[in-house]
Amino acid sequence: MGENKSGLALSMNHVSKRYPGTLAVDGVDFEVCSGEVHALIGENGAGKSTLMKMIAGSFSDYTGEICINGKEVRLSSPSIAKENGIEMIYQELSLALSLSIAENVLVGNLPTKGIFVDRKAMVERTRDRLKRVGLEHLDPLMPVKDISQHEAQLVEIAKALGNNPCILVMDEPTSALSREEVERLFKIIDSLKKQGLAIIYISHHLPEIFRVADRVTVMRDGKRVGTYEIEEVNAGKLVELMVGRSVSEFYSSRSTHLGEEMLRAEHLSRYGFFHDVSFNVRAGEILGLYGLAGAGRSELGRSICGADPIDEGEIHLKGQKLAHKNMGQALEAGVAYLTENRKTQGLALRLTVGENALAALIPKHTKNFFYSGKDDKPVLDRLISDLQIYPPDPSRTVGNLSGGNQQKVLLSKWLSISPKVLILDEPTRGVDIGAKMIIHQAIEKLAGQGNAVILISSDLPELVAMSDRVVIMRKGHLIGEMNKGEFNEETVLLAANGEGGFVNVN
Amino acid sequence: MSTENMSTKLDRRSSKHAKWNLWLNKFGVYFMVILFIAFGTLISDKFLTVSNFMNIIQAVAMLGIVAVGVSFITYSGHFADMSVPVIMAFSGIIAVGAVKYGIVISILLGIAAGLSIGLVNAFVIGKLRANPIIWTLAVAFVMNGFIRWAYSGNQIYPDVESKGNVAGQIFVNLSRMNVFGSLPLMVLVMFIVVIIGQILLTKTKFGLQLKLIGSNYEAAKMTGVNVSRTVGLAFILSSVTTSIGGIFLTSLAKVGAYYNGIGYDFNAVTAIVLGGMTLAGGRGNAIGVLGGVFTLGLLSNIMTLIGVDTFSQAIVKGIIFIIVVGINAKSLRKLGRDDA
Repeated sequence: MGENKSGLALSMNHVSKRYPGTLAVDGVDFEVCSGEVHALIGENGAGKSTLMKMIAGSFSDYTGEICINGKEVRLSSPSIAKENGIEMIYQELSLALSLSIAENVLVGNLPTKGIFVDRKAMVERTRDRLKRVGLEHLDPLMPVKDISQHEAQLVEIAKALGNNPCILVMDEPTSALSREEVERLFKIIDSLKKQGLAIIYISHHLPEIFRVADRVTVMRDGKRVGTYEIEEVNAGKLVELMVGRSVSEFYSSRSTHLGEEMLRAEHLSRYGFFHDVSFNVRAGEILGLYGLAGAGRSELGRSICGADPIDEGEIHLKGQKLAHKNMGQALEAGVAYLTENRKTQGLALRLTVGENALAALIPKHTKNFFYSGKDDKPVLDRLISDLQIYPPDPSRTVGNLSGGNQQKVLLSKWLSISPKVLILDEPTRGVDIGAKMIIHQAIEKLAGQGNAVILISSDLPELVAMSDRVVIMRKGHLIGEMNKGEFNEETVLLAANGEGGFVNVN
Repeated sequence: MSTENMSTKLDRRSSKHAKWNLWLNKFGVYFMVILFIAFGTLISDKFLTVSNFMNIIQAVAMLGIVAVGVSFITYSGHFADMSVPVIMAFSGIIAVGAVKYGIVISILLGIAAGLSIGLVNAFVIGKLRANPIIWTLAVAFVMNGFIRWAYSGNQIYPDVESKGNVAGQIFVNLSRMNVFGSLPLMVLVMFIVVIIGQILLTKTKFGLQLKLIGSNYEAAKMTGVNVSRTVGLAFILSSVTTSIGGIFLTSLAKVGAYYNGIGYDFNAVTAIVLGGMTLAGGRGNAIGVLGGVFTLGLLSNIMTLIGVDTFSQAIVKGIIFIIVVGINAKSLRKLGRDDA
């Protein structure tokens, strides 16, 4: 054991899966050995998630052959996949927050004594499992909502390990973890590997892959581009393979023409979320808004656009007081907010690309009670070609598009009304490099047309590269601002932690 | 190159397939209508006659008027209005009570009575975000009790209430009179309601935003849609058409009573779902709902012709409802819409 390639845990031969209108996975060969961490990378829409769903037994209509430990199986339902020793750990945790750790970990096979749950056995078993992931200090009876995000992620792994899997699939397991927590997770992955588990590791973060993986498979457009030993490749090569072209200039420098003041916030407060926040943003400017989680960035954005109330303070738009009571009125004045939560608050996934992209135009295109769709087509064509939405067909259901293209549709909803002030909350979260570049270009174009953009982003390279000026929030207060040339990733992060040198506005 | 060609060809074919599926979801109910007509023609020679078809349409006219209204609620993702029966009873009984002031006042007051319940529903569900099923069920209970208390459990009769006024006779005739020769008034009203409903749903800001709400409430809200007002309006419109249906029903029964309208809630939802509206919301249209109403009418008619009793008919309708909801959910899942 511990030896790489001691045997094929999983081999998929020429598997394909079709959604209506797209061949999401197209004749892919993929294999993982016991005792190996095999990274799977690709842009959004490359087919990674579909391939993993196939392994998890989500589809009964895939074609091709899947073998587990050399034996052919038909993974047509999640329970069959589980029986074959496949366990998934998803990006979004699947724990019931109000239940205890023990109940979550042992869900589906709680030890019983007669008809009652055997609490003692439950606690003991849970403790055993928590030990495997280095959480022996936790009380198994504690509700999951009281433990940290990182511990919850490990509890999720403990839960998966309970079924003695031979293949463990991890989909972006580090997206919610801090740097030290990530390192701890990797130690656990290393030890699981030594125990002979086959691990499939999906991530957008290339450094993580070089830290943890033995081999890496790159996918693009539903096909396998290649599989490489990790020593054979470097980050640049992987990006090239994923995107299909060389990425020489990722962030172009842009010339900014700052106009007059577009929006001014004066002593804004929403009790319990942010307090006494004042700032301004000028026409043509991209203002970065940074802060750690819980600093009140999104809440500020939501209040400015009228989604949430403001308790104190005033907003001025082009020198005039903005007295909006709700989002509709703010939109009419020209202030829009792109939500950070694409799936739950951003898009109607069941509707088409066209219906979503034009959703904000409905009031504008209604005259004398009736909606006039005569301008729809040119607007849609322009949006789809500007943002390179793929497939370029407005009648496609948004839910069937890849994450990156969904995000483009979400952005196009606001671009369609060319707002004077657009607040973007994490506009490229979970989006691949290709889509990211297109979204950045679209944002720069909007600013270039004399509109103001407020960019909220946790992606420091993005924030630093895009912003003309950065303001920092910390614990609900706006604590400082830095001009172009004065900030870099490090100074912004330090400032958000309340350290380092920056211009204090107060 | 060749593989690329092939995959675009496949792409196009499956996109055509998806469009066909969508079309089937929209108007597929009319296939069922045709199927029932063919079946009815086979089993009875009394079936395919003008008078029998007039019977069928007249029998479902009230359901059609009610279902189109309720379909606004379904379309918005708020399932259905369980206070439909009590709105019908209330509007009818108030109209009968007011018949002594003339037929116009009687009808207007009847609609106003139903509308008042709709306004309360609109506020509590649209603004306060109460669960639509639980709330409208509660309203149904309270109002049912209220009507029985107010009238001491009695029924009231238009001919008695009119005190010799001619309006009493007109009221009873509302459901029996023909316009333009031999077109029953009820049927005319039903078609008007369907046409207005179809236009509202597909051609106006209200309808388009209602679709957005039904597809994703939160997303609609974050797109600046005034969700409370739009959802409220759906409940108000529903109460108006339901009141119109209630007045016709009361006229047909020649009696205003608390039990008028029983079963219309469930029948309306069956017709709506048959007509291609998913209970998840945001899908379907009024013409489809009309198809659902026709299907139910044909079904009843055929079952009566072959001698199935009313109780068994209810069982059959219930089973059909379950099957339709099941097929509906499954076909949506096939299209890759897990959330439906």
